[in-house]
Amino acid sequence: MDMNEKPKVEEKVENTEETKPELPETKEGRLVKEILGEAPYAEGNVRRERRVEFKVPPERIREFLETAQKKFEMLIQITVVDWLKEGEFEVIYQLWSVSESVHAAVRTRIPREDPRLPTVMDIWPVAETYEREGHEFFGVMYEGNPRLGPFILEPREYEKHPFRKDFNMLGYVKGIYGEDFDRYDESKTNYVI
Amino acid sequence: MADLEVPKELREEAKGHDMYLHPIDKNTYELFFGPQHMATENFSVILKMDGNRIEKAIVNPGFLHRGFEKLAEGRPYFTNIALLLRICVPESDVPENIYSMAVDEIVGWEVPDRAQWIRTTVLEMARMSAWMFWILGFGNEIGLYTAGQWAAAYRERFMRLFEELTGGRVYHIYTVPGGVRRDIPGDKWLRQLRDTVEYLKGKLKDFDEILFDNYITIERTEGVGVMDKKFALRHAVTGPNLRAVGVPYDVRKDDPYYFYPELDFEVPVLKEGDSLARVLVRRYEMEQDLYILEQLLDMGPPSGPYMVQDPRLKALPRFKPPKGDAYAHVESTKGDFGAYVVSDGTHKPYRVHVRGPSQSHGVTVLEELLKGARLADVPVILKTLDNCPPDIDR
Repeated sequence: MDMNEKPKVEEKVENTEETKPELPETKEGRLVKEILGEAPYAEGNVRRERRVEFKVPPERIREFLETAQKKFEMLIQITVVDWLKEGEFEVIYQLWSVSESVHAAVRTRIPREDPRLPTVMDIWPVAETYEREGHEFFGVMYEGNPRLGPFILEPREYEKHPFRKDFNMLGYVKGIYGEDFDRYDESKTNYVI
Repeated sequence: MADLEVPKELREEAKGHDMYLHPIDKNTYELFFGPQHMATENFSVILKMDGNRIEKAIVNPGFLHRGFEKLAEGRPYFTNIALLLRICVPESDVPENIYSMAVDEIVGWEVPDRAQWIRTTVLEMARMSAWMFWILGFGNEIGLYTAGQWAAAYRERFMRLFEELTGGRVYHIYTVPGGVRRDIPGDKWLRQLRDTVEYLKGKLKDFDEILFDNYITIERTEGVGVMDKKFALRHAVTGPNLRAVGVPYDVRKDDPYYFYPELDFEVPVLKEGDSLARVLVRRYEMEQDLYILEQLLDMGPPSGPYMVQDPRLKALPRFKPPKGDAYAHVESTKGDFGAYVVSDGTHKPYRVHVRGPSQSHGVTVLEELLKGARLADVPVILKTLDNCPPDIDR
């Protein structure tokens, strides 16, 4: 019986994936529907009250953000997440709509090998700061941003991209501080520094 | 100033130290403002000066970078509280709360009412003590030292209350995912808090006379560092700085959390957008915060547990939330403070990204506002924007 039941559950999951989840009749649902009407290439859903999210292919992210800017006045943050196993960076543009009081996470995925995205500085000038940070910590190239370069870190740390998951923090610290740091053993993995 | 010639020896010494004291062209020279200047706090601005006027300003952060976000990826969930709260020094409860809120959302915990009440009270107390800290800084920058000394003394009252509640004065390590670490010490503490609130309510009038209604403040701030509504929104300016240009955006109203939907308070808004408007918005908010604290005390802490009841909490170091991500934000005195936490199902967060409000108003906005300002206006603009360098560096 158990063996028979399990595939049924899987089938159900597949079915729900094929049919797009219906957007609720709330202000968030209407907002997502309105934006998806203008940008059919994106996927969108409502996560909970005052939280929505979109998935956009990286080639059209700029186009999408230009559309979204009409409803979402503020670019709160650009977060980069390094998914090492998938070999991808997830870049999340976090928008806030002052008029509707809704937070939107616009997600896009770019390859880790050659991470490139167009800048959104001309849509939101504050993106300059976020992009400089993303470039310094992760090495994402934001094409069109003139100020990419050493920003928060020291110049010697530039282009090491310390927030990537494969950055060897212990090795780097040991290399810089040498003798002062010799009590750490790289072969041990359970250190919490 | 235009005819100033830097002596040759000094110029060569400066070159040796990789500094550019020498004039760039005939009338322009570079000035390093901070990090040794009191107004900038651990932060520096490189100013290109034409006489007394600033032609260009380049923000130079990084003196406080300690890699908190990276370190947080290597620690268990609950240990991170003791680390992330150091991002915002004057109100350390804000990073604790945003991180805890995000983890609560990932796990799906409903924080008990009593814990929510305590968290709201702690956040409001943190706001009040941060306002006092701001008066200390701002009063000192414009030369009204008495107001600053008073404010430092009043902040001490909150520090003592915090010490009794949490054990720490500046860094409290108090709010944890699922609730708070300890219960309220007793009714005596609540009475002391009410006394402090009453006391400060009376003292706000004194601050009006010595600082907010003082002609020195008005002369120094009126018409300095003006921004308009469109500029502020495009630059993601939040908090009192945004309310000073006429946008009534407050996270406590627009994305309510904890007990704020049940509380009655106003969001003060001014339209001018200059430094004076930013100062006055802060003055009105102090009043509102004291009013909120009063209401919370009238309401009284609800009965019940102060921590969520979950068997997983018994094995804390190996506590594993499910996969997922969440964004949570609160209203701090600096603006909209947010945290984005990603969990991959292990006992450490996969990524923690903190959005400090100074990241937007401390870099691009500051550079724009400083253009054309006088050298003496730099501390005024810095302090009325309430720039907090650890937000930028993290």
